[in-house]
Amino acid sequence: MGNLSFASLIRRPESGAFLGMVFVFVFFAIFGGRNFTSFAGAASWLNVAANLGIIAIPIGFLMIAGELDISIGAMVPAASMSMGIISGHYGLPIPVGILMTLGFAVVIGWINGIMVVRTAVPSLIVTMGTLFAVTGLTLFLSILLTNTTAVAMNPPAWAKAIFGGFYFNSYQVIIVWWLGLTALYVYFLHFSPWGNWLFAMGGDKESARNAGIPTTKFTIGLFILSSVSAAFVGLCQTILFNSAQVSTGMSFIFNAIISVVIGGVLLTGGFGSVIGIFFGTLTFAMVNQGIYFTDFDRNLSSLIIGVMLLIAVLMNNTFRQMALSYTGSRKKD
Amino acid sequence: MSGQTPVIELRNVDKSFGPIDVLHDISLSVNAGEVLCLLGDNGAGKSTLIKTLAGVHRPTRGQFLMDGAEVSFERPRDAQEKGIATVHQFGGTFPLMTIGRSFFVGVEPTKGWGPFKVFDRKTANAIAVKAVRDFGITRIDDGDRLIGGLSGGERQSLAIARAVHFGARVLILDEPTAALGVKQASHVLRIVLEAKRRGIAVVFITHQVTHAMAVGDQYAVLIRGRVAANFRRGEKSREEITDLMAGGEALADLDVAMEG
Amino acid sequence: MMNMRKNMLAAMLASVALTGAASAADIAVIAGSANDAFFNRVKKGVDDAALVVQANGGTVNYLTTQNYDNFGPDLVQLINTAVSQGVDGIAIPVWVAESQVPALKSAADQGIKIMMYNSGAEVKEQIAGINYFGSDEFVAGEAGGAYMAKKGAKKILCHIHVPGAVNLERRCDGIVAGAEANGATVMRLPTPASIDSDVTGTSEALKAELLKDPSIDAVITMGAWASDAATIAIQQAGRPVLLGTFDLSPSVLERIKAGTQTMAIDQQPYAQAFLATTMLAAYIDFGIDLPTDPVLTGPGIVDAGNIDAALVGVAAGAR
Repeated sequence: MGNLSFASLIRRPESGAFLGMVFVFVFFAIFGGRNFTSFAGAASWLNVAANLGIIAIPIGFLMIAGELDISIGAMVPAASMSMGIISGHYGLPIPVGILMTLGFAVVIGWINGIMVVRTAVPSLIVTMGTLFAVTGLTLFLSILLTNTTAVAMNPPAWAKAIFGGFYFNSYQVIIVWWLGLTALYVYFLHFSPWGNWLFAMGGDKESARNAGIPTTKFTIGLFILSSVSAAFVGLCQTILFNSAQVSTGMSFIFNAIISVVIGGVLLTGGFGSVIGIFFGTLTFAMVNQGIYFTDFDRNLSSLIIGVMLLIAVLMNNTFRQMALSYTGSRKKD
Repeated sequence: MSGQTPVIELRNVDKSFGPIDVLHDISLSVNAGEVLCLLGDNGAGKSTLIKTLAGVHRPTRGQFLMDGAEVSFERPRDAQEKGIATVHQFGGTFPLMTIGRSFFVGVEPTKGWGPFKVFDRKTANAIAVKAVRDFGITRIDDGDRLIGGLSGGERQSLAIARAVHFGARVLILDEPTAALGVKQASHVLRIVLEAKRRGIAVVFITHQVTHAMAVGDQYAVLIRGRVAANFRRGEKSREEITDLMAGGEALADLDVAMEG
Repeated sequence: MMNMRKNMLAAMLASVALTGAASAADIAVIAGSANDAFFNRVKKGVDDAALVVQANGGTVNYLTTQNYDNFGPDLVQLINTAVSQGVDGIAIPVWVAESQVPALKSAADQGIKIMMYNSGAEVKEQIAGINYFGSDEFVAGEAGGAYMAKKGAKKILCHIHVPGAVNLERRCDGIVAGAEANGATVMRLPTPASIDSDVTGTSEALKAELLKDPSIDAVITMGAWASDAATIAIQQAGRPVLLGTFDLSPSVLERIKAGTQTMAIDQQPYAQAFLATTMLAAYIDFGIDLPTDPVLTGPGIVDAGNIDAALVGVAAGAR
């Protein structure tokens, strides 16, 4: 990537996120003791990061494009339930459950996308609508079909091995999916031509359209991606825990947005990086889980999480300012 | 009037939206290497005229010719493919993108093969920087800089350089100097002259008579959807033009009084 | 007591005067969001009770809040709806006393009979409630704590997934009492809202605690989903840990059946709703009043000993 000078590293969007992560890691390595950094302990925050990260990156894409999707909060439990009902309650093969669940997610994502591009309603409001609609639909259908709001399933070994099992006793297989998808997304956003389209859309939608970018199709595609990603995490959870219940995954909405913001994506769009979101997710997961390795009073968890996140975001902000105010390196070469 | 075929020409064009007539009987033409200054107050129909030229609207009546042959654009993309580029204020530049990336939005250069095509950052940066420097903006030397760090004049110049680089034969500049200070505006005017020197037909929309006087070869004043006057450089004085723009009212006196 | 009797008498007379020779009871049952698995059991109890009420010529109207976001005002709205429908009696839990008590008082003053279930036993006299059917969080926790200690637990982890929630804290208080009476200690673990209903996050939090403190040999979760998380945490901690939970779910029952979970504490919502509804009708129609007051419907502990019967109840939607 050319000159990897210190100055050019510092102004990359992910450098702030990286330093925030290092800070949090050191903090918990000191206060959490050996368990936090041990092989088994690391699984604790990596598992959480993987589940969150698969959702956070597509949410980051939407935020870079100037949109938002909070219906993922309903998609995670809806997909979990759909998987449980199709392959648990009705006992249909796992691939059928997966395909139908992801198909449902495509439809919801498409509806989100169409509504956002066809109306002038902000995506926050549109997806808030689908958030409630999908929650209600999930409840209604699960009562109608199974007469209960929680179902159990016993997935075969191969499904566990691919979608919801543990390796080395405590590492969820979804970590592999997360790393693979992250690599794919890095290529997509930073190396493929499409990444340029995304930044352009977030910077100035009108100009992007004038430059010949199919903004409408692209936006719909992004909503489908976030919906499908949330559904994927939901169905993996069902396979992992052999159980699904109707609930609202509100925590996923906030956790994903927080991870993206810690990762250096601007709330106003047009700026961000996949690696930054990756670090942001890890930071959030460490903050969230690190607390259980420490001796702090458990009633302080939320307070400590809040303070650590603020510090991480502030560090990040400082570095972004440096990146933006950078005006040419004047190097002689 | 040199006998050459104009690059673009409108003949007796009307444009109405339903019952509302916005443009009446517009006849204008621009030759290669010429600057047509389109003057007019707010609401005179300038933006409708621009959009008609750019293929956003289709004329209700009348003819639209390019190189003497009639054309009809279904959508802006068709006009772009024919070489008509519209540059709005800061248009086509994205504050949080690098110069290289911004320059190539929608037409990214790639290297590699098959599904693994990769955005060619080095090439993009080199081409973008060269294109801008060729237009005389020498302060831009690093394609990795963010657009947001450029001055308004530099951004506008970058947008124009970009349009020219991608083969624009007709440049429609929508108020490129409106929000700029004197020095920045003079940068942009120099870019306009450079584009003209390269044989591009320029339609320069402005309501600043001084800027129009500096670069124009031909002037058209638009009032309530009609071409109120169409004349060559030097045929009318600055005061007369200001008068015309204000709809014939004696604004020129006021202008003079204020300057004096 | 005397005062209450007098009030009731007055209310009874008033109701007779108002409804005249009305034949059978028209009842409204007010409940929480259908989104909540718990209230699906409640609804089954109400539905079954409605058959009895209808057989005597009465009606049952089941009213629920949409969610818990604007809980107090929503409940008052439902009470007013019931009153304006001219019902003879209302069966209702009191969750938000400061909002609900004035509304219920005014309903009682108009001669409407109030039967309480699930929550709010402490305000029964204020609203002239007839009886209370429900569980006592403390008593339920106590039973769970004692059960675990008798199974050999020495240190019980009490997981609270909504820190500060009064009913969950009461359960934990009960667990402490029940455990200490039988020679065990309790550690409380409140987990923050950022991992509420996030199974992976909760599982990892529990695992970290189990790894950190090897003396923990039992876990009790306050919700069925959290015991899904605890199951994985225990597996990975790699030592035998007893697992109990409040509330039932299919996966909880499967684990009890398979022997990977020790027990579940059920407050038996079906019984709460069924009894509250039928006894309210019986009071209005026939003047029947139970001497036992309050009536505890829980805790019912489900373990390997009674799992098969519980599974039949689950299939019917009653548990």
